[in-house]
Amino acid sequence: MQLITFSAFFLGAVSLAAAALAAIRLIRGPMQADRVVALDIFLACAIALCVAIGLINGRALFLDVAIGLAIANFVATIGWARLIEQSFSTFLHKKRKRP
Amino acid sequence: MMLILGTAITLAGACALFLAALGVWILPDALSRQHAATKAATLALALICAGSACLMQHWGWSGRALLITLFLMASLPASSQMLARAAVVEQNGTL
Repeated sequence: MQLITFSAFFLGAVSLAAAALAAIRLIRGPMQADRVVALDIFLACAIALCVAIGLINGRALFLDVAIGLAIANFVATIGWARLIEQSFSTFLHKKRKRP
Repeated sequence: MMLILGTAITLAGACALFLAALGVWILPDALSRQHAATKAATLALALICAGSACLMQHWGWSGRALLITLFLMASLPASSQMLARAAVVEQNGTL
């Protein structure tokens, strides 16, 4: 029981520090793709925090929240990547220009 | 014994997650940052799920942790490829 609590608190502290590092990159990323990468790290930290609170609480309910966060991470990354690609691509803009 | 093993695996996963965030903070290029983020984050989440399954020793927990690991291993390469494509298009204008 002691080891479970220790590993849960260590996991929470380290993932909060990782989220702080990703927040720096999220604020001053020179490109839009860097911000999406920082968002990816953010959601990985969120999944780790869900596992940590589940370890403290002893319930498997929080892992369902982690599954939902993983699915939201996938869909958000795909959507933002498509948006960046289509908004910065010059080829598509030339192709879509209508007379 | 399983508790010590699970604690060691979970701590290794936490250190890998911190290394992923450190790589996102430090590395100079967009493609290298993305390279550091996705692979290290996949390894970190797989280690964290395996370590927590070793710690709790419950079938519901282990099944959910395995489901999270399989879904991340299936989905993160696809999103990583899309992100690399978006970074190249943002730098060069075309692919």
